[in-house]
Amino acid sequence: MSDYGVLLQQVVNGLSLGAMYALLALGFTLVYGILELINFAHFNVFMVSSFVGMWALQLLGISGQSHVLTGMALAGALLFAFAATMLAGGVLGVAIERLSLRPLRGVPGTAAMITTIGVSYILFNIILLTVGAGSENYPNPLPVVRWQFGEVTIELKTLLIWAVATALMLALNLFVNRSRLGKAMRATAQDAEAARMMGVDVDRVVVTAFFLGSALAGAAALIFGLYYNYTSFIIGYTAGLRAFTAAVLGGIGSIPGAMVGGVLIGLIETLGGQLIAVRWTDVIIFSILILVLVFVPTGLFGRAVPTKS
Amino acid sequence: MTRIGPRLAVLGVTAAALLFPLVNQNDADIDSAANALAFAALALGLNIVVGFAGLLDLGYAAFFAIGAYAYGVASSWQLQPDWSSLWEPFQWLDLVTRFHTASGDVVHFQVSFWLMLPVAAAIAAFFGVLFGAPTLRLKGDYLAIVTLGFGEIVPIVARNIPAVTNGAMGLNGVAAPRLFGFDFGVDATPYFYVGVALVALLIVISQRLKDSRIGRAWMAIREDEVAAMAMGVDRVRYKLLAFAIGAAFAGATGTFYVAKLQTATPEMFMFPVSVMILVMVVFGGIGSVWGVVIGALLLQILQSWFLEDLSQWLHALGRMVGVAWLQQVELASSIELIFGLILVMMMLYRRQGLIPAARRTLALSLDEQTVQPARAQSGLIATTLANAGAARHGLDISDLTVRFGGLVALQSVELSVPAQSVVAVIGPNGSGKSTLFNAITGLVPTDRGTIRFAGEELGRLPPHRVLERGIARTFQNLRLFPNLTVLENVMIGMHARLATGPVGAVLRLPATRSEEAAARERALQILSFFGNRLLPRAEHPAASLSYANRRRTEIARALAAQPQLLMLDEPTAGMNPAETLELADQIAGLNRLGLTILLIEHKLDVVAMLADKVVVLDHGEKIAEGTPAAVRRDEEVIRAYLGRSAVFA
Repeated sequence: MSDYGVLLQQVVNGLSLGAMYALLALGFTLVYGILELINFAHFNVFMVSSFVGMWALQLLGISGQSHVLTGMALAGALLFAFAATMLAGGVLGVAIERLSLRPLRGVPGTAAMITTIGVSYILFNIILLTVGAGSENYPNPLPVVRWQFGEVTIELKTLLIWAVATALMLALNLFVNRSRLGKAMRATAQDAEAARMMGVDVDRVVVTAFFLGSALAGAAALIFGLYYNYTSFIIGYTAGLRAFTAAVLGGIGSIPGAMVGGVLIGLIETLGGQLIAVRWTDVIIFSILILVLVFVPTGLFGRAVPTKS
Repeated sequence: MTRIGPRLAVLGVTAAALLFPLVNQNDADIDSAANALAFAALALGLNIVVGFAGLLDLGYAAFFAIGAYAYGVASSWQLQPDWSSLWEPFQWLDLVTRFHTASGDVVHFQVSFWLMLPVAAAIAAFFGVLFGAPTLRLKGDYLAIVTLGFGEIVPIVARNIPAVTNGAMGLNGVAAPRLFGFDFGVDATPYFYVGVALVALLIVISQRLKDSRIGRAWMAIREDEVAAMAMGVDRVRYKLLAFAIGAAFAGATGTFYVAKLQTATPEMFMFPVSVMILVMVVFGGIGSVWGVVIGALLLQILQSWFLEDLSQWLHALGRMVGVAWLQQVELASSIELIFGLILVMMMLYRRQGLIPAARRTLALSLDEQTVQPARAQSGLIATTLANAGAARHGLDISDLTVRFGGLVALQSVELSVPAQSVVAVIGPNGSGKSTLFNAITGLVPTDRGTIRFAGEELGRLPPHRVLERGIARTFQNLRLFPNLTVLENVMIGMHARLATGPVGAVLRLPATRSEEAAARERALQILSFFGNRLLPRAEHPAASLSYANRRRTEIARALAAQPQLLMLDEPTAGMNPAETLELADQIAGLNRLGLTILLIEHKLDVVAMLADKVVVLDHGEKIAEGTPAAVRRDEEVIRAYLGRSAVFA
């Protein structure tokens, strides 16, 4: 395989990872856009959801990678798994908002952010204590089908990831731009106080943002399991930080920004690992995080951050 | 106010700490206690950054790592460069030795632990400044993320450069400290005593910084950054100072910790460690010196002693009642779950922590609350303000233009405020009055024009420099430091007039003490300017005051800066007619003492009573200027402003 072919293959891999990061980044951006809150609990909503996805597939009698389904059975199994995982993620996100963050709404400073760190720790340790520290073999009903395009291999699961991510992001865009509640979300993101006075139920908007963001994290979690064939209690931290970097790179608060940022981080991860060294990947990604925040805090697509004075 | 109680408590704690190894001779317990002390020292350092200055640092362990590796590398066999004569001076200083190997002579680093304690602190502080300089202007939550990123990068770099750090394997054979020929070795007791001394030193430094000009500046930034800048605090400098001192604490602690463990691995400094230190600070009480020490000790003791025992008891209970699940529970491995619960519970139910930083204040007695408002004797006011000196310079503004994007907030405004006069700015809402104030005090950048005061151009000066030149202001929407006392608010106003630096604050030399005492005395005198309205409430948090008293406190804070020009933005807003008249009278009194006053005011009777000259703004342009009586008759003013108002009907 030529160097060029290797790089092209890494672009394909990067796009798959990027699709997952984009879905996860949307959760950060939706919540930040409305509450100006960096939600560290999101890391482990993702992680817990990946276990829910695993249990959902196991419920269908699928275990490991050898139990392959085809046709309608495959479509039904995937539909069920995505629905269960996204619902679980969404409900978990809403529960976190109601129980731990709503009482702190309006408290100045970093109290809410510190709380999300605490919630993240709690989720992390609940899984660690109940499931254990080992990594779990992820059930995967997808048949291994590969297509060869010149030097590049594209797998069925790659196509599935791209399709699911694209569909979900299109649906989110439709919701935010066309629906009544979506309009209320955009208004609240601009100015919560004004939106409230115009009759927007801000609590409902916040719950919606948490539900949608966490449901998308659920989809990302299932994608993670199907892509890597494993899950573990530790997956939330690394994936979460990378997705957060994606949201910042795209411009935190911006929905298209999160999507583009996610894809870019996916590409940076695979190409950086290929061209430099995998052990430096995190240093590259965190350096991007710091440099973007320091020099272009609005990111690629971000609106100017309103200064509160 | 009795001082005996706290001193006895400190004495008791010290005695208990010193006697502990004699009473409990179990080496493992002493070892745990020494580790707990290291974390208490870290909590003290993070408390400076998070508690005092209000900067959330999620990568604090990075500075711990830097201090740890600094000593680890300087006192182990990790680096062995070839010997050359360049090393001889260091050999004389006993920092290195020449070591013979089969393949030639190499250098062996053996820098003394006692030397490395301050050196590691300085190295960590250097990184704190280096890293803080570009990031500290970020908003609080962004700063948290940047620090998190930095906190991740440092251990990864440590893992990825094994030539210096031995990578994930960890440094080997870090030398134990020696003191007068006594080798500390692996026995825990000497480390325990070093830990006690370190924590005691850091407590003293923290307390002294907190109760000083430095600590007040930090807390002002934490409470309201804009107001802090306007009252003369150089925000970047003080944030950097907090970062540097916090990092220095971690650097020294890193050296102590590595000397004790005699190894260092990257895993000792990852994100969970940063979070653990944050949990200790939150648990003990953000900003509370004793609180964070006790928080750290409690959590460490919980972790190393209590959870083990509790697990054993639960296993026994499980065997007794025959429950398999209880027999396998390992509480020690669930310490992070407890940390998470602590963070959430403290934030939801007790944000001030176990031992709150703020003192409780006694409510005023009924007599004090219902007492007749009394004016201060004018003689006292005169002596208080006399040291400011009568204003000799006026303010001259010409062609001042300020734009916000497409909106022109001020358009070619000309304004002169002669020394010792009272000039009032009036105009409808949105006419640019507050923008004018913000432009003069450096809070918004100007697009064109000059602002000259005492022969100097102010246009490019940051807010704290403007205050230093002798211009102090109040804010329309009240920007006090809500959780600080009235007295502290006023003393922050003096920031630019006091000289104490961090070293002076820590050493508390006689000069510092007398400056502090004089500042306190003068603050009380300034409060007495408002008679008995503020004085009985000097130790109350500003947030607890009535609206009118908050306005008075803001004026007192501005007066504390010894201004020549006092700028008051709607000083009587929200006051009843009697209070308004009282304040107008007091403002007139300040003017008689020689202060120049620039005033924004909506109550036109106040304007008529005080102002030598009135300037009318409308849509960012000056439409009239003259005596109050002349302005009242001005056709354009009536049309643009008064015509829409019933005030002059």
